[in-house]
Amino acid sequence: MTKTKGKIPPVVTLNYSNGDLIIKEGDYGISIYEIISGKVGIFVQSGGTETSVAVLGPGMIVGEMAFIAGNTSTRSASARALEDCCLEVWHPAMLLNAYQKMPEVLRLIAGQALKLIVRMNKMVVELSLKQGQTMNRQTQELSDQWTKERKFFRKMVSLECVFRPVNSPKNLKFLGQIKDISKGGLQMTVKTSGLLNCTLASGDELFISTYFTSNQKVNMTAKITRLQKGKTGGTVSLGMVFTHMDPNDRKRLGFFLMP
Amino acid sequence: MTVNSQVLAYIVSEESYSDKAVIVKEGSVGDWVYVILKGRVKIKKRISGGLLTIDTLSEGNFVGEMAMLKQSNSTRSAWAVADGPVILGVLDSVRLLQEWESQPAKIKKLISNLIQNIEESTQKAADMIEASK
Repeated sequence: MTKTKGKIPPVVTLNYSNGDLIIKEGDYGISIYEIISGKVGIFVQSGGTETSVAVLGPGMIVGEMAFIAGNTSTRSASARALEDCCLEVWHPAMLLNAYQKMPEVLRLIAGQALKLIVRMNKMVVELSLKQGQTMNRQTQELSDQWTKERKFFRKMVSLECVFRPVNSPKNLKFLGQIKDISKGGLQMTVKTSGLLNCTLASGDELFISTYFTSNQKVNMTAKITRLQKGKTGGTVSLGMVFTHMDPNDRKRLGFFLMP
Repeated sequence: MTVNSQVLAYIVSEESYSDKAVIVKEGSVGDWVYVILKGRVKIKKRISGGLLTIDTLSEGNFVGEMAMLKQSNSTRSAWAVADGPVILGVLDSVRLLQEWESQPAKIKKLISNLIQNIEESTQKAADMIEASK
C-alpha cells in the first residue's frame, strides 16, 4: 500500500445490469457514485420487506449519506440498478479533505439535511407498510431475486501472468494475460502456441502468479470454469474462479480492486 | 442544543415571531437562512385538506437552508411556522452564499442532491398520506 499512500485513487466507471445491488443497507461502505446512465432505486428494509424510497436518474448521486455522516455509520439504504446502469465511482478521499475544510456552518446545515432525509425515508417506509398492497408494489417481500449477492466488481486489466496446472512439475511455466479480475475469479487469454503439448480443460486447476504493482507478486489458485476459443485465432480464453488464495494475497487483491 | 459559536458569527439581525406565525411560505421565492436562537419551528408541507408536519426544529437548527442549497431554484419547499414564541437569527446570506458557491463542484453536487432527495421523499410521504385519505 505504500505506493498508493497519499495518492488519490482515480475515478472509475462501473456497469451494472438490471437488478444488481450497488449498495447494501447495513454494510460499511465509503464510495460515492454518480449515475451516468440508467435508473437506480433506493430501498429501505423494514421487518423482512423492502420499500422503495426513491428512484434516481442520470446526474444524481448515490451513497452520499454515509459520507456526510462521516463514514462512521453503515449504509442507511440499499441501491439497486433498475435497468442497465453506468455509474462513476468517487472515492471519498478526494472529497474528504474538501469537506473538512468547509465552513462549520455549511457542515452543520448538511448534517441537519441528513437527519431530515433519514426521517423522511422512515416516514415513507412506515406509510407504505401501513398501506400495504394498495400502494401498488411500493413495498416488496424480499425474494431471492432481490437479496441476491452483489455482482462482484470486475476490473478490466491487461496483466501478464505465469501459470501451470496444479499437478504439473514445478519448473513448468506458461504465459497468459489476465483480461479482467474480480474478488471471485478472473478471465485470461493464452496463446495456444505457447501451450506446447499441454492441454487445458474445464475443471483444471491452475497456479497463477502475477504482479498488481511492479513489486507486488500475487499467487492465486483458480479452476477453469469456461474455455473458449479467442476472437483472434490462436488464443484461448479461460473463465476461472478462485479456489485458493493466501490471506495476504486476498488483501492485495482487495486493494487492487478498490474503485 | 445550543447555537454553535461559529454560526453566531454569521448572524446579521434577529427576528421575533409569535406562536403560529409564518416564517417561510411554501412556494415563495427566497434564500434567507435562519438559525433558531430560541423556541421551536415546525416544518410543514401542504397536502389536500391541511398541512403535514414533517419536522420540528429547535435551538441551533437552521430554517430555510434548503432553498439556498438547491441547484435548481430558490423556491421554498415547505412552510416554516413558529411553534410558540420564536427568536431567529438571520444569517449573512451574502457571505453564506459566497462560501457555498466556492465549494468544489462535487461537494456542492453531493449536498444539493441530498436536498433534492429530501424534497422527493417528502413529496412521496405527502402523496401517500393524501392517497390514504
